[in-house]
Amino acid sequence: MIPTIVLSTPTLSWIPFLQPAGSLGNLWWLLMIPLILGISIAYRATHDASIEQFWQRVFLFVMKSTLAMGSLALVMYLFVYWIIPNLQTT
Amino acid sequence: MTNDTNQLDEPLHWGAAFFGWICPGLGQIMLGHRQRGFLAMTGVLGLFLCGIFIGGVDCVDRREDPLWFYAQAGSGPVAFAADWANSALLKTGKVGELIESPPSNPRAPAPLVSSFKTVTVASEIGTLYCFIAGLMNVVVLLDALKRRPIDKGNGGDAR
Repeated sequence: MIPTIVLSTPTLSWIPFLQPAGSLGNLWWLLMIPLILGISIAYRATHDASIEQFWQRVFLFVMKSTLAMGSLALVMYLFVYWIIPNLQTT
Repeated sequence: MTNDTNQLDEPLHWGAAFFGWICPGLGQIMLGHRQRGFLAMTGVLGLFLCGIFIGGVDCVDRREDPLWFYAQAGSGPVAFAADWANSALLKTGKVGELIESPPSNPRAPAPLVSSFKTVTVASEIGTLYCFIAGLMNVVVLLDALKRRPIDKGNGGDAR
């Protein structure tokens, strides 16, 4: 599927920070990754006793969190689209 | 365990926490943890600016979305600046134009809203980004409140 970027207002030019950047269509959930990155930078900067290997730890945190969220999404998808329809038919 | 006990004995750095609210990460910088402070600043301001970039300044609104704003205000004056930009530029029609929106009460006059106001997923995600930025800055300034200052000669940003 090709992502389409659609401006939310019919203007000829886009004013950054005043107008919304537009949506990513069905790929809006990818914005979860920069969100996790920001959280992880702020969290690791305050939580860790040492800031050696900071970016490696941030990368691991982002990977683990993304995988965890992805797994939850997969479980929910299976539950809603597979388990519940089967329950109704039996 | 010894470190934990020592940390509990540390006095609270209210000044560092206050300046950490004024500018995220400034509290850690004042206590000598420069690198840590700049990293926290990158995380919090990065989240906030990404939120404004994705959703526009309309996603910070003190009057229409007060509950979201209470958490967004944790980011400091930058949240109030975004709210001011929303009120002074968008809601007055100085940027964009004011258009009539369907009234909630059919007998009431149609309210005017900015043509830049959105109800799309971009606006929701922008609001969420700014909300998380505010909450993360509360974490950062609570850290500044209890963090042990670094001696001048120590230079130990690694702590």
